[in-house]
Amino acid sequence: MKLLFYVYRFIGTTLFWIFFGLIGLVYGFVILPLVYLVVRNQESRQVIARNLIRGAFVVFVWVARNMRLIRCDVSGMEHWDAGASQLLLANHLTLIDVVILLSLFPQIDCVVKAAVTRNPVLRVSAGTANYISNRAPDELLDFCVERLKSGSSLLLFPQGTRAIRGEPLKFKLGAAEIALRAHATIVPIVIDCNPQMLAKNVPWYRIPPSQPRFRIKLLPPVPVAELVSGDVEPRRARHRVNESLVSMFEAELA
Amino acid sequence: MDTDNLYGQLKAILIDQFELDESSISPDADLYDELELDSIDAVDLLVQLKNITGKKISPDEFQDVRTINDVIGALTNST
Repeated sequence: MKLLFYVYRFIGTTLFWIFFGLIGLVYGFVILPLVYLVVRNQESRQVIARNLIRGAFVVFVWVARNMRLIRCDVSGMEHWDAGASQLLLANHLTLIDVVILLSLFPQIDCVVKAAVTRNPVLRVSAGTANYISNRAPDELLDFCVERLKSGSSLLLFPQGTRAIRGEPLKFKLGAAEIALRAHATIVPIVIDCNPQMLAKNVPWYRIPPSQPRFRIKLLPPVPVAELVSGDVEPRRARHRVNESLVSMFEAELA
Repeated sequence: MDTDNLYGQLKAILIDQFELDESSISPDADLYDELELDSIDAVDLLVQLKNITGKKISPDEFQDVRTINDVIGALTNST
């Protein structure tokens, strides 16, 4: 029975990725370029593109859940405030973390890695949605701070890349620095996926032995000022914010 | 700009703004382990050097930078 479910999940996963790829192609070659060409106003173009991308991601998550390829429990959604500017910081385990998170939060900003923006099709898609591209590190910091200050919410993965489940968390300082410079309110998002699927350097077809269960938990918002008391030198401040964040996540994942 | 000149400017920034000891600075000094800069300090440093040289540094190049010599290398290679 277990073997049968494994075989089913393998076939299901293959079909899922074909579906994912096809929608991706239609979006990348037709829908988003069309939005880019037809909608001349940059602001409405961004809103439309982000809604379309979120729509596709909602469908992907729905399909993956209903095909029983994954289970996914989300808690703490009351901590998300669509009207406020929040800095959403999530740990990063799987290739589809971003798909699940972007399906949950409409209109948020995120950072797209440079490899994506080098691909012409993806560049048009990411550009139409006006996501932040990770080019020069200094520009990235400035861009993120600017977006937060202008009132949007931003999703970052402070680890910068997918990590192995159970290993000690290591956050890059950039997220803490952005939070400090923007005086941001941080919403930590703790992601667990057991057993871990779609980890770094693991091909999609090597599916986990049993059905992966995602647990996504939003913690209460924390203004960054609460993590550093008084007048602290910038370098100390970002290290302190970083350490507080890491311990918050580790307490949840322990 | 030639490398010696760049090295001099880099050294001046490290001493003035990062409050490092002149004696600790050498071309082979490791920014992170020896000079105890963190990655954000390194970014700030690159911004200032960019203002001098006009060269942008990509995230990939930045990942590889460990020593003062690496910084100068990244700023002077034309690719």
